[in-house]
Amino acid sequence: MATLLVLTVLLPLAGSLFLFLSPRLDMKKARAVALSVALVTLGFSLILMFVFKTGMAAPQFAFMDGEKYGLSWMERPDIRFSLGLDGLSIWLFGLTSLLMITAIFASWESITERAPLHYAFMLALETGLLGLFCSLDVVLFYVFFEFTLIPLFFLIGIWGGPERRRASVTFFLYTLAGSLLTLLGVIALVVIHYQHSVGNVLTFSIPELREGLQALNWEPWSESWTRTHPWTASPQVLVFLLLFAGFAIKVPMFPFHTWLPLAHVEAPTAGSILLAGVLLKVGSYGLMRFNLSMVPHGAAVLWPMLATLAVIGILYGAFAALAQTDIKRLIAYSSVSHMGFIVLGLFAFNSTGINGAAIQMVNHGITTGALFACVGVLYERYHTREIADMGGLWNRLPLLTFFFILASMGSAALPGLNGFVGEFPILAGMFERSPRAAALASIGMIVGAWYLLWMLQRVFFGPLHEPHGHNHEASHGALSTPPDIRPIGWHEIAGLTPLMIMIVFIGVFPQPFFDRIRPAVSLIVVPFAASAEARIDAEKGMTIHASLEKNFGPASKDLVVEPISQVASTPKGRR
Amino acid sequence: MISAYDVARQTFSILLPEILLLITATAMITAGAFVKLPRRSWCATAAVALGVAIFVLLGMGSQATDIYSAVALNDAFSWYGRLLFLLSGLVIVALAHDQVDDSRAAEFFGALLFINAGAMLVAASNELVFLFVGLELVSMPTYLLLYLSKRSKATQEAATKYFFLSIFSSGLLLFGFAYLYGLTGVTNLKALAFLADKVQGVPQPQLALIAIVFVMAGLGFRVAAVPFHFYAPDVYQGSPTVIAAMLSWVPKAVGFLALLRTVTAVVSAAGTSGPLGHRAVLLAWLIAAITMTLGNTVALAQENLKRLFAYSSIAHAGYLMIGIAVAFRNDLNSGGLYYGAEGIFFYLTAYAMMTLGAFGVIVMLSSPDHPVEKVEDLAGLSRTHPGSALAMAVCLFSLAGIPPLAGFWGKFELFAAAFSASPGEDSGLFWWLGVIAVLNSAAGAYYYLRIVVTMYLRNPTADSITARPAWPSALAVTLCSVGTILVGLYPTPVLVQTRLAAEASIDLPQPVTIANPNVIATLPASR
Repeated sequence: MATLLVLTVLLPLAGSLFLFLSPRLDMKKARAVALSVALVTLGFSLILMFVFKTGMAAPQFAFMDGEKYGLSWMERPDIRFSLGLDGLSIWLFGLTSLLMITAIFASWESITERAPLHYAFMLALETGLLGLFCSLDVVLFYVFFEFTLIPLFFLIGIWGGPERRRASVTFFLYTLAGSLLTLLGVIALVVIHYQHSVGNVLTFSIPELREGLQALNWEPWSESWTRTHPWTASPQVLVFLLLFAGFAIKVPMFPFHTWLPLAHVEAPTAGSILLAGVLLKVGSYGLMRFNLSMVPHGAAVLWPMLATLAVIGILYGAFAALAQTDIKRLIAYSSVSHMGFIVLGLFAFNSTGINGAAIQMVNHGITTGALFACVGVLYERYHTREIADMGGLWNRLPLLTFFFILASMGSAALPGLNGFVGEFPILAGMFERSPRAAALASIGMIVGAWYLLWMLQRVFFGPLHEPHGHNHEASHGALSTPPDIRPIGWHEIAGLTPLMIMIVFIGVFPQPFFDRIRPAVSLIVVPFAASAEARIDAEKGMTIHASLEKNFGPASKDLVVEPISQVASTPKGRR
Repeated sequence: MISAYDVARQTFSILLPEILLLITATAMITAGAFVKLPRRSWCATAAVALGVAIFVLLGMGSQATDIYSAVALNDAFSWYGRLLFLLSGLVIVALAHDQVDDSRAAEFFGALLFINAGAMLVAASNELVFLFVGLELVSMPTYLLLYLSKRSKATQEAATKYFFLSIFSSGLLLFGFAYLYGLTGVTNLKALAFLADKVQGVPQPQLALIAIVFVMAGLGFRVAAVPFHFYAPDVYQGSPTVIAAMLSWVPKAVGFLALLRTVTAVVSAAGTSGPLGHRAVLLAWLIAAITMTLGNTVALAQENLKRLFAYSSIAHAGYLMIGIAVAFRNDLNSGGLYYGAEGIFFYLTAYAMMTLGAFGVIVMLSSPDHPVEKVEDLAGLSRTHPGSALAMAVCLFSLAGIPPLAGFWGKFELFAAAFSASPGEDSGLFWWLGVIAVLNSAAGAYYYLRIVVTMYLRNPTADSITARPAWPSALAVTLCSVGTILVGLYPTPVLVQTRLAAEASIDLPQPVTIANPNVIATLPASR
C-alpha cells in the first residue's frame, strides 16, 4: 500500500512530464491522456480510501524504516521522503483526485490553445497537492506546498482572462511572501524541538514533531527568552505568527483575502475549481497540522484575534458576495465566507469544532468546485458572467439548473446536504467556547443562503432572458454567439455528477467520514483538553479576557483585540 | 620532522591543477603573439586544460600535510571549492567561445584560465600572503578581460571603475591582513585559529575587530556587498555579457571563501561568547540586512537585464552574508542544523548554476547586430525559443528560491543555519535576520517573475530574437539548468560535500609536530 501511495502521487507528475515533452500533441489527444492519468489516479486513491483503517490515529500507508517514517532523502540532517495518510488528509487527498476530473472536464472544450501544456500544468499541480496532503516530513510538505505555485501561476497567466498577467503575478507574490514566512516557522519548529527537547532530538517528521512539541515544556525557555528579548512576544506566539502568515494568506483569512477575487475571476474554470476546491484547503490544513498541533499555546494566546478575524471574514465575505454582479466573483467571496467558518471551527479548540472543520474542508471543496464548474458551463455558452444579463435559464439548460441549485443548497448548508454536516458541528463547537462568536457567525450562514438564493432566482428563474439575444439584436458584439445554445454535454455531466452524488452522500451518511477523522483530531485537541477550564469559564459567561488571563497567563492581555466591537463595525463599514 | 623538501613537494602536488592552468595560460598568451589560430582552437585549449585539471583534482589523494605549517591545503574545503571553480570555469569558457575576435582570443582565454587558477589558489590557501596572491591573480586578468573583448567607451568606463576600486579594496584588505598578522605574529591561517582557540587573550578584541572590519571591507568589494556594491551595476552594464556573468560569480565566490578562510575561522575559534564574536556577528548582520534590502529594492526598478542581474547579485551577496554572520558563531560543536559555512557552500553551488545559466541564455541569444539588453527584448521567448525560455525560467525560479530547485535549498540551509546558530543572546538577532531575508526573497521574486511573465505570458514582438544558439553555449546552459533541477530534487551528494567542507574550515586537529609542547603555554598573552 505504501508503494501505491507513492505511485498515486507520482503518476500525475509522470503524465505531466509526458505532456510537457510532447507539445505538438493535438487537443483531443492531450485531454485524453490527461483524463486517463487523472482517472487512474482517482482509482488509486479510491483504493486507498477503501483500505484505510478506521480508528487509527497514526498515519497509514507509510514506508517504515525502523522507527522512522519514509525513505532516506538527505542524510544529515535527516530529511526524509515520507508519505502517509491519516484521517485528516485522506479525504483531502481523495477530494484532490476527484476535483481534478471535474477540472479536466471543465477545460474539455474551452482550452484549445497550447492544450498539452495546459494539461501538463494541471497534472503537475495535482502531484503538488496530493504530495502536500500526504507528506509526513515538514520539509517535504513545504517543497510540495511551494511547488503548487508554479503550475497555478502559469495556468492563470497563460489561459486566464483579460487581466491574467496582473492576477497571476499578484497571486504568486502574495502567497510566496506568506509561505516564506511559513518556511521560517517550520524551521523554527524543528530548531526549537532540536534545542529544547530531552536528548536534543533532531527530527523533521510531522508526527514526531507534534508529539515532541506538545510534550515540550516551553516555560523555562519562554521566560529566559522574554527576559533577553523584552520587546518581543513569547516564542510560541512568534512561531505561531510565522506559520500563520502563509496559511492565513492561503485560506484566505479576512485581511489577507485581497488576492482571491482577482485570481478567481481571471483564472480559467479549471484553475478556479482547483484553487477554490483544494488550494484554499491547504491553508486550513496547514493551520490544523502545524499551528494547532505544534504551537497550541500560541494559538490560545492569540485566540481572540483569530476568532475575530474568522468572524469578520464570514460576515464580510457574505455581505461582499451579496453585492456582486458577477457570478464568479460572488462565489469567490462566498469562499472567503465559508473558509471563515472552517477557520472558526478550528479555533473552537475542541473536537466537535475541529471535526466539523475537517469535514467542511471536503464539503466546501466539493460544492465550490461544482459551483465554479457550473459557472464555467454558463460562461462557455454566453461569454458573460454578469447576473443582470441572464434570466430564466431553467428553460434553456434544465440539467445545469438542477446541478447549480443542488450545489448552492449544499453550499448554503441545507440540512440533508453536505454543508450542514460540516457547519453544524462548527457552530456547536464554537458555542461551547464562545456563544457570541458563534451567534455572529450564524448570521453569516443566513446571509449565505440569501445571496445564493437571490443569485439563483435572478439567473435561472423568471422569464427567459439570454445575453446572446441581446447581442444578436445589437449585432455588433465581437462574440457572435450561435442562436441555439448547446445543451449541456456529456463531459460536463460526467464532471459534475460525481460531485452531486458526494453532496447528497455526505449529507445523509457522514458517519464513515467522521469515524476516520475523529482519531486524528483527538491528537490535536490533547493540549486543549488539558485546559478544559477555559471552556468551563466560557460557559459561565466569563469574558474572553479574564478566561485567557486565568488560563494562559497575563501575556495574552497585550495581544487581545476587542472582538465584539470590531465584528459589529466592519460589515457596516464595508457596505 | 618533515623536511623542507617534503613540504615543497607536497605543496607542489597539492597545487598541481593550478600550476597546470597557469602554465597553459602563460603558454597561450605568449604564443598568441606569434601564432595565428582561430578562436575555437584557443577555446578548446582552455577547455582541455580545465578538463585535465579536473581529472588531476579528482585523482588527488589526501596529502598528510602538517596544516599548521602548510601553505596550501588539500582538505575538503579546498577540494570542493576548487572543483566548483573548475566546473564553473568550463561553463564560462563554453559561453565565451564565440564572444571574442580571433585576434584577441589567445589573451582572452588565457586570462580566463589565470582567473580560474587564482580563484582556486584562494580556496586552497592556508596563508595570508598566499591568499592575497590568489586574490590578485583573480583581479589583474579581470582588468584585462574587461577591456579586451570589446573596445568602446562603455568598456573603458567599466574597466577604469573596476580597476581603481579593486586597487582600493586590495589596500583595505592588506591593512586588515596586517592586523590579523599582528594579532599573533603568524601568517598561517590554521595556526592563527589554533592560537586564538588555545591562548587566553588571543585575539586581542580591539585589534581583532579592526582586522575584521578591514578584511570584510576589502572582501566586501569582491562580493559586491553594501557599501562597496556601487560599481557592480555600471561595470556589468558596460562590460560584455559573458564577462558580466564571470564577474557575478567568480569574485563573489572567491570573496566568501576568503572570508571563511580568514576571519570567521579565527573568530569562531576564539570562542562563541564574548564581545568580539558579538561585534563580528553584528557587523555581518548589518551588512547582510542592508545589502539584500538595497539589492532587491533597486532591482525592482531595473529595465536593463544586466543591471537587473547586477542588483540581484548584490541581493544574493546579502543572503550569503547571513552565512558569514552564522559562521562567526560556529565551532565544531555548535553547528546546529547547518553550519553557516555549509549554507554558503551550498548557496554558492546553486548560485553558480542559476546565475551562469541565466546569463548564459542572454549570451546565447545575443548577436552583435541584435543584442539582448532589456527585459522587453525577451518578450514571447517561449514561442520563439522554447528551450532557452525554459532554461531561463528554471534559473529564475531557482534564484527566487522556489522548491524543488537548487536555490531553494541554499536559502533553506542559510535560514536554518541562522535559526539554529546560537540559542543564547543573539538568537533574536538571527530570527529577525531570517524574517528580513524572507521578506526580501518575496520582493526579489517580483523582478525574476517579471522576466518569466515577459517570456511566457506575452507575445513575441516584431523584432524578436533571431539568434541561433551555438552548441557549446547551449550545452553549458543545459548543464546549468538541468543541474539546478537535479540538485533541487536530490541534494544529498552536494550536502555531504558541503558539510565536509564546512567542517574542514573550522577543524583544528591536535598538532603532531610540535617539538616542545610547552611552547604554547609560554606564549605571551597579547594583553
